[in-house]
Amino acid sequence: MNKAYCITADELAERGYKNIPDELLSAKHLIYSSPATLAFNSPGAQGFGVKRAGLAVPGSVMLLVSPACCGRNTSALGAESSYADRFFYLLLDDTDIVTGRHLSKIPQAVKEVCDSLDYTPSAVMICITCVDALLGTDMERVCRKCSDFAGVPTVPCYMYALTREKRLPPMSAVRKSVYSLLKPTKRRPDEVNIMGFFSPLMDDCELYALLKSAGVKKVREISRCETFEEYEKIAQANFSLVLNTEARYAAQEMQRSLGIPSVELLRLYQADKIHNQYRLLGKAIGAELDDREYYDDTLKTIENFKDKYGEITFAVGEFSNCDPIETALALLRYGFKVSEIFATVGELNFSFVKKIAELSPKTRIYSNLSPTMLYYEPDGEIDAYIGKDCKYYHPDAVGADWNEEIQPFGYAGVKALFKELDKQLNGNKRKGERKQ
Amino acid sequence: MKNLLKFLTPFAPDQSGASAALYELGGLIVICDAGGCAGNVCGFDEPRWFTRKSAIFSAGLRDMDAILGRDDKLVEKLSKAAQQIKPAFTAIIGTPVPAVIATDFRALRKMTEKATGLPCITCECTGTNYYDAGEEQAFLDIFKAFAEKSLPVQKGRLGIIGATPLEISSISADKFITACKKQGWKDPVCYGMGTGLDEIKAASSAEKNLVISPAGIKAAEYLKEKFSTPYEIDFPCIPESVINSAQNLNGKKVLIIHTQTAANSLREKLTSEYGCECTAATFFMQKSTLCRKGDFKLNGEEDLQNITSQDYDVVIGDKALRRAMKNFKGEFIDFPHFALSGNLTD
Repeated sequence: MNKAYCITADELAERGYKNIPDELLSAKHLIYSSPATLAFNSPGAQGFGVKRAGLAVPGSVMLLVSPACCGRNTSALGAESSYADRFFYLLLDDTDIVTGRHLSKIPQAVKEVCDSLDYTPSAVMICITCVDALLGTDMERVCRKCSDFAGVPTVPCYMYALTREKRLPPMSAVRKSVYSLLKPTKRRPDEVNIMGFFSPLMDDCELYALLKSAGVKKVREISRCETFEEYEKIAQANFSLVLNTEARYAAQEMQRSLGIPSVELLRLYQADKIHNQYRLLGKAIGAELDDREYYDDTLKTIENFKDKYGEITFAVGEFSNCDPIETALALLRYGFKVSEIFATVGELNFSFVKKIAELSPKTRIYSNLSPTMLYYEPDGEIDAYIGKDCKYYHPDAVGADWNEEIQPFGYAGVKALFKELDKQLNGNKRKGERKQ
Repeated sequence: MKNLLKFLTPFAPDQSGASAALYELGGLIVICDAGGCAGNVCGFDEPRWFTRKSAIFSAGLRDMDAILGRDDKLVEKLSKAAQQIKPAFTAIIGTPVPAVIATDFRALRKMTEKATGLPCITCECTGTNYYDAGEEQAFLDIFKAFAEKSLPVQKGRLGIIGATPLEISSISADKFITACKKQGWKDPVCYGMGTGLDEIKAASSAEKNLVISPAGIKAAEYLKEKFSTPYEIDFPCIPESVINSAQNLNGKKVLIIHTQTAANSLREKLTSEYGCECTAATFFMQKSTLCRKGDFKLNGEEDLQNITSQDYDVVIGDKALRRAMKNFKGEFIDFPHFALSGNLTD
């Protein structure tokens, strides 16, 4: 019988990062389009893919220049959504994709798009795809022509699925694009940017309070900018906090062009590591960040959850607002069990695999991308799942999809996760009571 | 400007049509792309994906695979998956990437067949054509590859050709089966929806074929030529919501925008039962033999903008089109077409 490929944490740790089995490496096999794959492998498909992300600049519109297929799933955003009036398409035909003749049409298309609107957009984001990647299009040059012709700033967004594993994958490139309209301005010592996401952090994230305690008066996130004028003020920050490695390149560019340095923080679910990270952040910015209250409160939330439900067993997936390997390690360290993880193993999270191997050597690790996942069958029961991909594999289980657009971070993220799990498990318990 | 969409989103492309036609047939289907096209198929254009699994994969091409034309690497990955999955056949569906680098699909098919020992179907889709072009190719090729034996004709068996969710805006062909049974057919089978490869192999046993979309005509012609199976063209299942709305249209001038077969079927009803004066228009395949005087082809968004209330009292079509019809002030009746809006009728 066909079975989904998996490897236990101890086997994987023993093999080492340099010897990860082919089944866990996307370049070595065909790719199964599981729900997580759609988010991972198709840069325009889910959530904030390149297309939606490119529109993070307030007042901007997007012109997708591609064969029709690349823009097809934008229909999912719906004609009624706020995005419906912001997407435009210049469709390429067979001759265009071979000769590149479409490039000469783009300035006129940009002008027609701008003329069709009853306002002047702050920018036109030109989204191009694999075709132009292969044609070697100099889209920066085309955009300059468009800006001159239409009188509106025009910026390229590269939705190059072909370059997913390169130095500048699509989701990193688009972050560079959305900050590229910023101009040098007078900097303010009490302002900070948060970079990394296209939607804001949870309002109750302690990071805001900790920064305030360090003298920061204004924290800016691109997703909270309602106007282009607000967006432009991102350029006056003293420094940026980068909460997602995909924003690293954009932050480096910001340092180069605007002189704004950055500090990188990871989204973690291990409370002691979060504490350590804040301690290091305090050192870096020359302030003592007192996070004791948040730390204690987080541990209390976890203890209460454990008292209520016991040492339950989880499955953790990657279609979620967490690194599933780090989150699995956190759960194990809190005293829970983790039977399976659906993850993409990389250089960054391999160190967590080694620690999981020590605490729970038989935890199974699956790749959402492996063709064998077509045959996934649950092997043993789980009490709760984290991640929408887990729900796909365990349709009858309860748990947290944990992929909402508002971004969890820090202690607030950990607490919110356990509160959501409590809500779901409690609701399920009540349903069970009613059945009885 | 031609090819500029300001109000509509792009329609389902050819690779979505090809994979929809093959989806339920037990093959290993590889979308020859970097990930985005397979994401579009599984995440959007294939509504069966979340309820019924199929071995449909992305080739996961990367820039150097395309630049260096590493077909051997693709065949190696495909063979490995075929060993794990043991499909009845393999299929490779093109996208813009192989179109740009001019992949030799014939050679790719031969290499794959040699490596796997299984029949391989290749659909040279480019992502620039509409879904029906991909369906047409896939339906024809699957019958050519598997409907080989001439079996005794079974009286009462009707083969339905040309159905996919993109055409019928439903994940099941049950309503079509029921409609055909009502017409007296004892054993209607809908190829590719609710049936598998065995039914394709036994296509010669059908007493007659019913073609429900222009994309199925070539396959029906092939079966007629090979097994002398006659066929007719009809779309016997207009959604109830459309029929109910049509009851108030007595004598009106109506424009129906849909697939040519669905529009013709609805026109027949509106003309004969309500005395309407109907014109059919489509963005998709339009066979001259199925056209009536005044029917026309829509070539882009601008054509929709040219439709006015002076020309028609009523327009029937997918509601996604309404947004582009700025000059039409008359009545608009929604007739969902999944290939346009991604909306199902059920």
